[in-house]
Amino acid sequence: MTNEYIPQAAVIREIIPHTEREWTFRVETDGTNTKPGQFYEISIPRYGESPISVSGYADDFVDFTIRNVGRVTNYLFDLKPGDKLALRGPYGNGFDIEEFKNKEVIIVAGGTALSPVRGVIEYAYYHPEEFKGFSVICGFKSPAEVLFRDDIERWKERLNVIQCVDGAPEGYTGPVGMVTAFIPDIEIKDAENLQAIVAGPPVMIKFSTLELQKRGIIDHNLWVSYERRMHCGLGKCGHCKMDDTYICLDGPVFRFTDARKLFD
Amino acid sequence: MKQIVSKEAFNEGLAKLLTEYDIYGPVRHPYRGTHSDTDKIQYQQVHSFDEMEWDEKSQFSPKSAVLPINQLLFYFVEDQWLEASETMRKILVFLRPCDLHGMKRMDEIYLNNGAPDYFYERRRKMIKFVVVGCKETYRNCFCVSMGSNVPEDYDAALNIRDDHFELDIIDEDLAVFAGREADFDIDYVTENTFSIEVPEEVDSQYLAEHDMWREFDSRCIACGRCNYVCPTCTCFDMQDIYYKENEDAGERRRVWGACMVDRYTDIAGGITFRSKYGSRMRFKAMHKIYDFRKRFGYNMCVGCGRCDDACPQYISFSETIEKVGAVMKQKLNEEDPA
Amino acid sequence: MLRDVNTRKVMKNAFRITKHKYKTALRVRVPGGLGDPLVFRTVADIAEKFGDGRIHITTRQGFEILGIDMEDMPEVNEAIQPVIDHLDTNQEKRKAGYPASGTRNVAGCIGNKICPKAQYNTTEFAKEIEDMIFPNDLHVKIALTGCPNDCIKSVMHDFGIIGMCLPEYDQSRCVACQACVNKCKSYSVGALSIENNKIVRNHEKCIGCGECVLNCPMLAWTRSPKKYFRLVIMGRTGKKNPRIAKTWLKWVDKPAIMKIIANTYEYTAEYIDPEAPNGKEHIGYIVDRTGFEEFKKWALKDVELPERCEVVPTVYWDERKIW
Ligand SMILES: Cc1cc2nc3c(=O)[nH]c(=O)nc-3n(C[C@H](O)[C@H](O)[C@H](O)COP(=O)(O)OP(=O)(O)OC[C@H]3O[C@@H](n4cnc5c(N)ncnc54)[C@H](O)[C@@H]3O)c2cc1C
Ligand code: SF4
Ligand code: SF4
Ligand code: FES
Repeated sequence: MTNEYIPQAAVIREIIPHTEREWTFRVETDGTNTKPGQFYEISIPRYGESPISVSGYADDFVDFTIRNVGRVTNYLFDLKPGDKLALRGPYGNGFDIEEFKNKEVIIVAGGTALSPVRGVIEYAYYHPEEFKGFSVICGFKSPAEVLFRDDIERWKERLNVIQCVDGAPEGYTGPVGMVTAFIPDIEIKDAENLQAIVAGPPVMIKFSTLELQKRGIIDHNLWVSYERRMHCGLGKCGHCKMDDTYICLDGPVFRFTDARKLFD
Repeated sequence: MKQIVSKEAFNEGLAKLLTEYDIYGPVRHPYRGTHSDTDKIQYQQVHSFDEMEWDEKSQFSPKSAVLPINQLLFYFVEDQWLEASETMRKILVFLRPCDLHGMKRMDEIYLNNGAPDYFYERRRKMIKFVVVGCKETYRNCFCVSMGSNVPEDYDAALNIRDDHFELDIIDEDLAVFAGREADFDIDYVTENTFSIEVPEEVDSQYLAEHDMWREFDSRCIACGRCNYVCPTCTCFDMQDIYYKENEDAGERRRVWGACMVDRYTDIAGGITFRSKYGSRMRFKAMHKIYDFRKRFGYNMCVGCGRCDDACPQYISFSETIEKVGAVMKQKLNEEDPA
Repeated sequence: MLRDVNTRKVMKNAFRITKHKYKTALRVRVPGGLGDPLVFRTVADIAEKFGDGRIHITTRQGFEILGIDMEDMPEVNEAIQPVIDHLDTNQEKRKAGYPASGTRNVAGCIGNKICPKAQYNTTEFAKEIEDMIFPNDLHVKIALTGCPNDCIKSVMHDFGIIGMCLPEYDQSRCVACQACVNKCKSYSVGALSIENNKIVRNHEKCIGCGECVLNCPMLAWTRSPKKYFRLVIMGRTGKKNPRIAKTWLKWVDKPAIMKIIANTYEYTAEYIDPEAPNGKEHIGYIVDRTGFEEFKKWALKDVELPERCEVVPTVYWDERKIW
């Protein structure tokens, strides 16, 4: 019997700030069993645990891109490289890269939800030839809140990347508008086989999937990542359940054919 | 082995078992009820049969014997994690047939939904169940409708008689009672004061949008009593606490959770997935009579009726099931009037 | 036909001197306000047979049977006997009606006979007090109420007895739902807070309303089986300086209250103004005259206060001008 609840202490190798409230924590741990779209439970003893998506990984580290919003995350933002936090995971199904290979792919992501799909994008960046096309639309509230700036610039070299903002001060030259506004412009060759991923807050998921459906993408090829309250990540605490589905066990990544049937 | 055991011999047997077992049963606490001069009946450790209360239904179910209300998982001291050890004594739980059926549901979630739960499994392995047969149904019970009236898979079972017990011992380890062999069946009820029909086919999407739930938006007060008294509600919250004397040390526990209570679905950013109380009712009802069944093949609710006993707003869960049934029937009729 | 009537005797016998000469009304005591069909039937019969058919329900939970001819007083006294017997009211001579009227009917709110909020059976306690103090001519008003909602308005009495719940917390049953914290804050005094996922009760703030116990879905909060009360004293209505009673004792128990009331009768007998009109003086005015210290000395004589009882050393009343 293994005790899944006991986390392992892990050293923070590096902290990469994106904005004031969103930083990536590179944590020294075995990343070989990790998939993009999976998540870990990050513990700060005395404060609690939070489910956090893997935003990148290698053999000897896992990245977490975290938004400072509350008790646990506040505390995380007091930590420095060399400090320890505690981890258990990875949990959830994650994205299976095989599903996307040799196909056209569109990824639509909003804010911190770029984390769960970042691993997929990185793979495409290093292996663009394995895809028949790869577009990313990533939206942020404002220019100041853009995450993974350097990555985005790098991705642009090899992939079709639209980085937009909901609103911007005067003089901003980049694309302005909701992510949904950019979906109609993406060039699509074979809609029926195209694979699309949507990650973001509930409202964004709702409208982005609608737009993608309008472009002829079928629900079976449409993937979403759901975020629900989680206390265990192990199918026990019940908080993440929607209908008969446990997001932590059966998700958080779902084909839209399944996801569209789920009710809170 | 079936035997007739006198009261004295029964208590002597229990005394023997007590050397190895912690025994749990329903205990009446006079004056400790919600209202003044009323009693509370809850499960807890006992040392003799006389401490147990079987005349009235216990307000709380035996699940606290299996899943402690506050369960210490581990201590932390700086970055050391020390698993909370548990006294590894064996546990014997006296319970009604419906509640034993409830245990099967608990096992389903804790042992079969994903990997087995370490803390649950550790304790569960030590537990044996003694069913106490039901001669009569209590108010609000609908075990017969839920198919959980018949005592099954017990380690021992007993009928309480005026001056003796009829004891059916399956587990050899419990065969410590002096008595004479006899033949009898363990009591169970074949009829409650009412029966309901659980709808076979449930369209949860259709129901989610149906306005049958809206009456509960204002009737229910989201107190969670229905969850806390339920023998099959398994949810928990994680809690960390620090020690006042030494803030570097503390513990992590899990504590019973409730899907009817505020904060259950809240996530950072001010998002609540079920803020309406009627939607929480729907979620709970679907879990008990449909979602769980879809996953594991049988209904979660065992029909003990404690939720109805406990609801201060007189909301009846069994009637809610009937309302779901009626809505589904109506839908079928509309689709196919023939 | 009556011609000469000793009004003092009539009044002492619980008949009223009314504005209609030779017409009286009988004041029926119902301690704790709990009657039953026999009481009501008897009262109804008397109203029909001797009165003018009207029955007034008093603020002190008695009945006044109106329009009785003074000539019929002896027969009415005989007719009310079943009520006196049934309610076990102390009497000096059978079939002679009520022996006194100064000490008023001990009133009680509905109490925990049915009220979900009440902490004790107000009627039973009222009867015990009534049994101890009646009959007596001293003008004393006592009311009992189940909880600090004070539905009986005990704060307008010489003694107001308010039920208190001593909440006891079993932290192993608490699930931190915070129902208790929220209800204490919204319905009551906000004496609870959550700290480190467990509940902390501010005992000084707590008024013993019991909302925590009533609202705890886990019964992690339960009520101590020992009954506690708040004793508020010397409230009054009237022409002269009406005022609200003030807390004297918090977390006091029944034996102590009984003894204090008994002692107060002795104190009053000692200090009542012999010149008072009709020999009637409210104890509140006596306390005003002798000073609170003197009252306290008498009232607490041989009283054993429970350990957790909090005593206000000197009670001050706010005498706001009403008139
Ligand atoms: C599968 C999954 C992946 C996630 N990935 C990321 C990520 O990559 N980056 C990131 O910044 N955030 C992510 N989140 C959200 C993150 O878990 C919450 O922001 C975080 O738990 C807030 O904790 P807190 O203690 O700081 O905030 P508080 O508001 O103080 O939260 C208190 C408690 O509420 C619960 N809670 C609050 N918000 C959430 C939430 N959204 N999901 C689940 N439980 C919650 C937790 O139990 C937490 O301990 C993810 C959530 C899920 C479910
Ligand atoms: S017990 Fe009744 S009021 Fe409380 S949450 Fe359940 S249904 Fe709502
Ligand atoms: S209401 Fe009961 S269970 Fe909820 S926080 Fe208060 S004491 Fe704990
Ligand atoms: S997070 Fe606990 S069941 Fe999914």
